[in-house]
Amino acid sequence: MDRFIDLALSAVLLAGLYATMAYGLGIIYGVLRVVNLAHGGVIMMGAYMGWVLHRKLGVDPYLSIPIVVAASYLLGVAMYRVLVRHLPRGAAGGPASLLLLFGFWLVLRNGAYLLFTGDDQSITTAWSTSSVVVLGSQLSVSRLAVLAIGSVIPVGLHLFLHRTHLGRAIRAVAQNPDSCTLVGVDVERIYAITFGIGTALAGVAGLLSATLFAFNPGSGSSELLKSFVVVVLGGMGSVPGTGLAALILAVVEVFAILVLPSYLTSAVGFVMLVLVLVIRPGGLFGHRVLG
Amino acid sequence: MNLARPSSLKALMAALALLAVGLPAQAAPPRARVSVGATLPLTGSEARIGGFVKEGYELAFEEVNKAGGLQVGNQKLPVALTLLDDATNQATAVSLADKLINSDKVDFLLGTYSSHLIEAQSTVAEQYKVPYLQGGGGATKIFKRGFKYLFGTISPVELLGTTLMTWIDQQQKAGKLPKPAKIALLWENTAHGKDFRKGVSDFVAQNKGAYIISVDESFALDGKDFSALLGKVKAAKVDLFLADAHLPDYITMHRQYVAAGLCHKVVSYGARGSEKGAIDALGVENVKYVLSGVWWSSQLAAKPGPSRDFVTAFKARYGGRDPEWFQALAYLSAKTLFAAIQQAGTVDREAVRQKLATMKIKSLLPGGPLEFPAALGQQAQNPFVVQQNTPDGKSPIIFPQDVATGTGVAANPKCAN
Repeated sequence: MDRFIDLALSAVLLAGLYATMAYGLGIIYGVLRVVNLAHGGVIMMGAYMGWVLHRKLGVDPYLSIPIVVAASYLLGVAMYRVLVRHLPRGAAGGPASLLLLFGFWLVLRNGAYLLFTGDDQSITTAWSTSSVVVLGSQLSVSRLAVLAIGSVIPVGLHLFLHRTHLGRAIRAVAQNPDSCTLVGVDVERIYAITFGIGTALAGVAGLLSATLFAFNPGSGSSELLKSFVVVVLGGMGSVPGTGLAALILAVVEVFAILVLPSYLTSAVGFVMLVLVLVIRPGGLFGHRVLG
Repeated sequence: MNLARPSSLKALMAALALLAVGLPAQAAPPRARVSVGATLPLTGSEARIGGFVKEGYELAFEEVNKAGGLQVGNQKLPVALTLLDDATNQATAVSLADKLINSDKVDFLLGTYSSHLIEAQSTVAEQYKVPYLQGGGGATKIFKRGFKYLFGTISPVELLGTTLMTWIDQQQKAGKLPKPAKIALLWENTAHGKDFRKGVSDFVAQNKGAYIISVDESFALDGKDFSALLGKVKAAKVDLFLADAHLPDYITMHRQYVAAGLCHKVVSYGARGSEKGAIDALGVENVKYVLSGVWWSSQLAAKPGPSRDFVTAFKARYGGRDPEWFQALAYLSAKTLFAAIQQAGTVDREAVRQKLATMKIKSLLPGGPLEFPAALGQQAQNPFVVQQNTPDGKSPIIFPQDVATGTGVAANPKCAN
C-alpha cells in the first residue's frame, strides 16, 4: 500500500510538470493551428533566463517568474511578428511552419551554446533537496511548487479566456478568424498575443524545470515530445484536457515501473500517443478549441 | 642516338634494366615534419570536454617541439597538429577524419572525445590503416571489433565497476558492511552503463554469498523523473546504491534521492561525484561520502613521477589550474604516439602500429605502465582511482592504497541504520 501511495503521489507531481510544459504548446496550436516546434527551445531559454537571474543577480527562481514571463512573452510576440506571420495559413502552412520553427529552435540552441557553453547547469536553492512528509511519503518541496504553479495556470487561463474581453476574442479567433475580422477583431493582434502567451508559458515551464533538473543548450527535446503527447492526448487546444492528459500520462508512466523495466516507462507515453492518433485522433477528451 | 643501331639499343636496354633494379634510388625529399590530425567536439554538447582534450593535446605537442621535435631515425622532426571541430556530430567526425587523411595527408590520428564519436570515426582510420590513439571513449564495444589500428589509453568502464566493488569488498571483509550486502544497481541505458553493470555483476558472480543484486534497472538518458525507480530501490531495502550516470542525470537523480529521504551505506554514481559542478548543484552536505571512480586524478601528483611532471607542466601552461582526467588522457595519448614513432624510428604507419601493439611504457596512469593487450582489443587495462567526497568538500583518493591521499569511510555515517 505504501508503494502504491508513493507511486500515486509521484504521478501527481509529475503531472504538474507535464501540464506546465504543455499549456504553451496547446494554446498556440488551439488558436493559430501552428505546431510550435521551437517550444523546446523556448523552454531551454526559460531555464537559462532563470539561471542567469538566480546565479548572476541572486533573484529567487519563483520571484523571477514575472520577469521570465514578460521576457518570454516579448520573445513570442517578436517570433510571431517576424517569422510566423509570413507563413501561409491553414494546412498549407503546416510544413513551412514546422521547418521554420524547428530552424528557430536550432538558432536558439546554438545561440545558447555560444552564450553559455555546453556545460550542464542547474538552479540550486535552499529547498532544492528539501522535502515534506505527505501520507507517509517524502515529497520534494520543489516538485510541490511546480505542481502548485501547474495547477494555478489552467485556472488562470480559464478565467482569462472566459472572463475578459481579450480572452473571449482569442476564443472567437480560435473558432472562426474570418468572422472575427468581419466584426472588427484585429486577428493579427490576437495571433501575436496568443503566440506571446504560449511562449511565456513555455518560458515559465523552463524556469520551473531548471529548479528540478540539470539542463544545457541541448535540453528541450524531451520536454517538447512530452508536451506534444499531452496536447494530443488532451485534445489539441483544450486547456482542461491538457491538465487531465498530463495526469493520465504521468500515472501511466509512473505505474509502468511495476511491469516494465525503468528505461521503457517513458516509451509508454509514445505508445499511447500512437494509439490515440489511430483510434481517437481528436484526443481523449475530443477536439475542443480552448474549452 | 640512333636507336636502329644494335649498340645503341643495347645501351638503352641496359639503362632501363638498371633503372628497373634500382640504380641508386633517388632519395626521397627530406621530410619537414611529422603531421598528426585530430577532430574534437569544440562546439556542441561536448564542447566543454572537447576543450579539455585540446589542452592536453596542445601541451604534449608544445613540449616535444620545445625539445627540438621527434627523433625519427637520424632526423629530428617537429610535429604538427591539425585540429578540426567535429561539432559533437558523428557524421562530421567521420568526414573530417577522411579529410585529414586524404586531403591534409596527416601521418597519424589522435582521437576525438566521447564513445559514440570515436566508434564512428575509428572506422575511417581502420579503413585507411592509420594508427588512431584515443583516450576519450572507454566503451568496450569500441574495442571488440577486431580493429588493428585503434589503440585506447582509456581503461574499460567495466573496470570502474570492478574497482569500486574491490574497495567495497575490503570494507565488507573488515566488518564495516553487512554480508551479504544487498545492492541496487542502476545504470544508464548506454554502452557506458552496460559496461559498468557488467563490472559489478561479474564481481558479484565471482563472490557468491557476499552480495545480492536486489534491484538491477537501467534508465534512459536525460531522465526527468526517477521517483518511481527510486521507489523501487526504497522498497528493496538495499545496503549499497550503485548507479552509473552522466552528470545531468546524476544531479537530477540525486536531488530526488535526497528529497525522498534515501540513505545507503555506500552511494556511488560511477564516474560522477567529485565534480565541482555537481557539488555546487547538490550542495556539499548532500554529496558527503559519495564514491566515484575516475581514470586519473591530479592527486596522483602527490608522489614524484609522470603525473607530477604532467600536473606541473599543465599548471605552468594553463594559469595554475588543476587538470582533470580528460586532459591527462589526451596528453598521454599524444605522448604515447610520439614514443611509438621514435621507437619505430620511422613515420611508416605499419611500423608505428606494430610498435604500439607491442610497447609497454611508463605512464601517468594508476597502475603504472601502459600497454595495449591485443586480446582485449588494444585497450589499456589500468585500474581506476576511487575517490570519496568528504564533509569539507574535498574528494581524496581512497583506493588503490598505494596512491591514496585519504582514508575511505564505510558505512555512510549519514545513515541512521
